[in-house]
Amino acid sequence: MSNLSVNNRVQTSIKVLQFIVVAVLLVIMGRMFQLQILDYEKYGPLSQQNTILRESVSPARGLILDRHGQLIVNNEPTYTITITPSNFRRENIPLLSRLMGKSEEEIQNQLLRAQNYSWHRPSRMFTEVDFETFSAIQENLWRLPGIGHQVDSRRNYPSEVRASHLLGYLREVTEQEYERSGRYRLGDRAGRIGIERVYEEYLRGELGTSYQRVNALGQMVGMYDDGRHDVNPTKGADIYTTIDKNLQALAEELMKGKIGGLVAMDPNDGSILSLVSAPQFEIEKLSGKIDREYWHSVNVDSTRPMFNRAISTQQPPGSTIKPMMGIVGQELELIDPDHTVYCDGAFVRGRRYHCLTDHGNQNLEQAITNSCNTYFFSLMNDIINEVDLNTWSRLTSDLGFGNRTGIDLPYETTGILPDSSYYDRIFGVNRWGPGDLINLGIGQGSFSVSPIQMAAFTSMLATGGTLHKPRLVDRLVFPDNTYIEPERSSQTVDWLNISHLESVRKGMVGATTEGSGRYYLEHMQGFDAAGKTGTSQNPHGLNHGWFITYAPIEEPEIAIAVLLENSGFGSVSAAPIAALLMEYYFNGETTQWIKDHVLNFEPTSRPEEEEEEVIEEIIQ
Amino acid sequence: MKEWHKQFDWLLLFCWGALAIIGLVAIYSATQGPVSEFLPSYIQNNFSNQVIWIFISALAIILLQFTAPRSFIQISVLFYIACLILGIMTVFWGTESGGATRWLVIGGLRIQISEFMKLATILVVAQYLTSRRDISAEKVGPALTSVLLMIIPASIVLLQNDTGTALVMLSLIPVMLFWSGLPYGISLFIVSPAVVGYFAILNWQLGIIVAILLTIGVFLIQRRPSLTLVTFVVGMLIVIGVQVALYQILQPYQQARIEAFINPSLDPEGAGWNVMQAKTAIGSGGIFGKGFLEGTQTQLRFLPEQWTDFIFPVIAEEFGFIGAGLVLILFGMLLLRLLYNAGEHKHPFAQLVMVGITGILFMHVLINIGSATGLLPVIGLPLPFVSYGGSSFLANSIMIGICLNLRLHQRSFSTF
Repeated sequence: MSNLSVNNRVQTSIKVLQFIVVAVLLVIMGRMFQLQILDYEKYGPLSQQNTILRESVSPARGLILDRHGQLIVNNEPTYTITITPSNFRRENIPLLSRLMGKSEEEIQNQLLRAQNYSWHRPSRMFTEVDFETFSAIQENLWRLPGIGHQVDSRRNYPSEVRASHLLGYLREVTEQEYERSGRYRLGDRAGRIGIERVYEEYLRGELGTSYQRVNALGQMVGMYDDGRHDVNPTKGADIYTTIDKNLQALAEELMKGKIGGLVAMDPNDGSILSLVSAPQFEIEKLSGKIDREYWHSVNVDSTRPMFNRAISTQQPPGSTIKPMMGIVGQELELIDPDHTVYCDGAFVRGRRYHCLTDHGNQNLEQAITNSCNTYFFSLMNDIINEVDLNTWSRLTSDLGFGNRTGIDLPYETTGILPDSSYYDRIFGVNRWGPGDLINLGIGQGSFSVSPIQMAAFTSMLATGGTLHKPRLVDRLVFPDNTYIEPERSSQTVDWLNISHLESVRKGMVGATTEGSGRYYLEHMQGFDAAGKTGTSQNPHGLNHGWFITYAPIEEPEIAIAVLLENSGFGSVSAAPIAALLMEYYFNGETTQWIKDHVLNFEPTSRPEEEEEEVIEEIIQ
Repeated sequence: MKEWHKQFDWLLLFCWGALAIIGLVAIYSATQGPVSEFLPSYIQNNFSNQVIWIFISALAIILLQFTAPRSFIQISVLFYIACLILGIMTVFWGTESGGATRWLVIGGLRIQISEFMKLATILVVAQYLTSRRDISAEKVGPALTSVLLMIIPASIVLLQNDTGTALVMLSLIPVMLFWSGLPYGISLFIVSPAVVGYFAILNWQLGIIVAILLTIGVFLIQRRPSLTLVTFVVGMLIVIGVQVALYQILQPYQQARIEAFINPSLDPEGAGWNVMQAKTAIGSGGIFGKGFLEGTQTQLRFLPEQWTDFIFPVIAEEFGFIGAGLVLILFGMLLLRLLYNAGEHKHPFAQLVMVGITGILFMHVLINIGSATGLLPVIGLPLPFVSYGGSSFLANSIMIGICLNLRLHQRSFSTF
C-alpha cells in the first residue's frame, strides 16, 4: 500500500467513524426529544403520582347525649405503637421489651410480622397500649429509631349509663360492606346494633384526605404542597337522644341480675326516656379491640345478653292485656261500664277457666282493678260467639299489637297476634275451637307482645287514642350547628271512642290503690298513677311478671312497661321497678327499702292462688 | 517547545473539564441533596471523594504531558501483563458489588482493574499492529493475534461478572482492526452480528430485515459472494440464536432484564422498575428541568444507582432537555475532536491509540445513556467523566491525557 492510499484510507475511516458517532448521538438526542418534549405530558404526571400518597383521614365519630345534653358516649384516644423494620435496630429489643412490659420473644414476633408486611412502611405493633406505656415510649423515642406511634380513638362511656342494647357497639366492617359502600376503608369500624348502627351514616362523619410526599421506599417525607390540597375530615353529627340519663342509670341498676325488658316513655310524644334489656353485655369490652374470650362467653351465655328483650322478645302479656280487652269489648258493644259479670271463681264453658278468687259481681272497672279473669273469659267468649276472632284481631292490631312500633332500633319483633289463619296454620283448618281462644281474653295462649308494644299501648291509653311511634333520637346536630330532627309520626286509632277509656283508666287507678299494683305505689307520695300487673304463664319455667303504668293520672308524663322473665308475680317483681322509676322521675329520690327489695329480689315458684300470701310475707 | 500552548488541544481539555464539572454537580444532587437522608453515609461521601479524584486525575494529565510519546509504546506490554495479572487476582480476591467482583483492594485503596485494562489493551494492540511494516490487520495471522490480545482481557473481565466492561472491550475488536486496514466489508461483517442481535431482540422480523440490509451492504462494499453469503447466514443464525437464547438459555433474571427492556411497563414493580423510573425522571424533566436539587425522582430515591449508572437521568430531570443536550454535545465534541486528531496525526500508533480510546469512550456513552433512555437493555456502565467512580475517572482521564500528549508531541513523535 502506498503512503497516499494509506492516507486516503485514514481520511475515509475518520469520516466513517465520525459519521457513526454523529449518527448515534443524533439518535440519542432524538430519543431525548421524544421523552422530554413529546412525552412530557405523560412523564410529568407520572413522576407526580410516584411521590404523592393520598391518605384518608378518619373523622371523629359523633357524640351521643341524653335529652338534657348530658354526655353518654364520647371518644377516647387509644395509642398504638408502630414499627418500621428498616429503621429499627435489633439491639434495641431489650430496651423496647422493658418499656412495653412485653417479653423479648413477643417483640421478636411482632418485628417478624411487620417485616412480612413491609420493611419500609410502619406496621402496628401493639394496639391500645395504656397511657403510661405510651408516655414511656414517647420519652425514649430518640433512642428507638423505627418506633413510632399512632393515635386512634374508641368509644368511651363517661357516665354510669351503659345502655348496651340501646347504644350498640362498633365492629370492623366486613369485606362485603367495604365493597358495597365505597365509604369505608378496610379496618374501619361501623355500628353493629343500636343507635350506633341506625345512625351510622350521621355519626360517622366524612373522611378527609391528606396528600403526603413519599420516597421510593414509601417513607413519608412531608406534606405535599404544604397541605393546600388536603381536605379536613368532617366530624360526625352529635346525637341528642330522648334518653334521661339518670332515669336510664337507675333503670339499669334496678334491672341488674334480672332477665327482661323495660321501656319508659313520654306518652305525649313517644320519646323514650329509658330502655333497658337485662342482662346487658359489657359494652366497654366491645368498644375497642375485641376481647375474643369475652365475645365468645357472651355468645354462649344461656341468658343471651346480646338479645334485646325490650323490643325483640315476645311473651304473653297476661293480665296487662285486660285494659285493652275492655276497650275492644266496649267498641264491639258487648259490654258497657255498667255491664256486670258474676264471678264465682271460674268461668265455665266446656271446662272451668279459673279465676284467682270469687269476686262476685264485677263491672269493667272492678274487673280491671281486681284483675278478675272470669269477666274477661266471658268477654272473650262473647267476642268469639257474637262477633268473630278476626274482628277482635283487627281491632287489637289497630291498638298496636302484632305490628312493629317502628322504634329506631333494629331487630324489633311484631309479637304474635293470632287470627283464624294463624290457628289454621298452627293447628290445621277446623282443628281449633273456642277452647283455644278464651284464654286470649286474659293475655294467654298464642298472644305474645314485647315490652315496647306494651309501653306504646299504655301511652296511647294514658293520652287518649294516639299511638306515637317510639323514638330514641331528638335531633342530630352537625358540626356547623345545623341540625335535623328525625321524623315523628303518630297514628290515631280512628274508631276509638275516648269515653270508652274512662272505666278502663279508673280500673287501672284502682289497681294501684287497692288492687295488685298497690303494694309499693301506696308508699309513695307526690304523684298518682294508673297501672296493671300481669303474670303470664310460662310452661317452660317460672312465670313472667309484667307491669304497665302511667302517671300522673290527669296529665300523664311518663308511661312504663316492665317485663321480668321467670320472676313470678308481676305485682312484686315488675311493679316495684316501675314504681321506683316513677318515684325518681317525679320526686328525684327513691324509697330505700323498696329499692333494696328490688335489688335483692328472689323470684318465687309459689302458685298463683297464693299471691296474696307471698305479698304479705314480702311487705311485712 | 516554545509554542506548546498553540500545539496543546485546549478544546479537548475543555470538554474533559466541562464534563467533570457537570458530573460533580450531578453527583452532588444525587448524594448530597435532600436525598441524602435516605442514603448511607459512605455514599454521601461520594461527592468529596470525586473531588479528590478529579484533582488526582488533573495532576495525572499534567504529568503525562511531560512524558515522551515513545514511552507509551515501551511500557505497553508490561502494563498489559500487569493488568492481566491484577485482573486475574480480582477474579479470586476481589470485592463484590452488585453481583460483580470488580474491586481489588491494594493497601486500603479500592481499584477497579478493568478500567485500566481497557487502556492497556488499546496500547498493546496498537503497539503490536504498528510494530512492524508487515503486520497489518489485512493479514489473517496478525488480525487473529490482535483479536486474541483483546479477547483475553475481555474474558477476565467477564469472569468478574462485569458484562458491560467486557462488552466494551469486545467492541474494540472491530474498531482496532478496521483502523489498521481490515477491509471495510469485513469490518461491516464483524459488526453485523451485534447490530442484527440488537434488532432481533426488539423484534425477530426486524432482525431479518436488518440482516438482509447488512448483507446487501457487505456485497456492495466488497463484492465478494462468499463473504456476502457468510454475512447472510451469520445474520440468520443470530436471529434464530437470539430467539433460542431469550427463551431457552438465558437465566431467568437475564430474561427478565431483556423483557423489561422490550416492554418495561409489563412489570413496573420488578425488572422494569429501573427503566420506568429512569424514563420517568428523564421525561418529567421537560425542556428546562425541575431545577437543581428539585428532581423528585432523584431526591426521593426513585432512581437506582443515581450517582453512577443512572446519573444521566439526574441531569435530564433537574436540567431538562437543555442540560442533557449539553452533555450530549460535549461528548460529541470530545469524540469528534479525538477522531479529528487521530486523522491529523502522522504516527499510526498514535492514530490507533486515539481511535481505540474514542471507541471505548463512545461505547460507554452509548451503553450508559442507551440503558437509561430505554434504547438498550440495562447494562451497568459508568458515564465517562460524569459518573462517580475513582478508578473510572482516573483511567478515562489518563486516556485523555495520553491523547493530549500524543497531540502535543505530534511533531517530535515521527514515523520511525
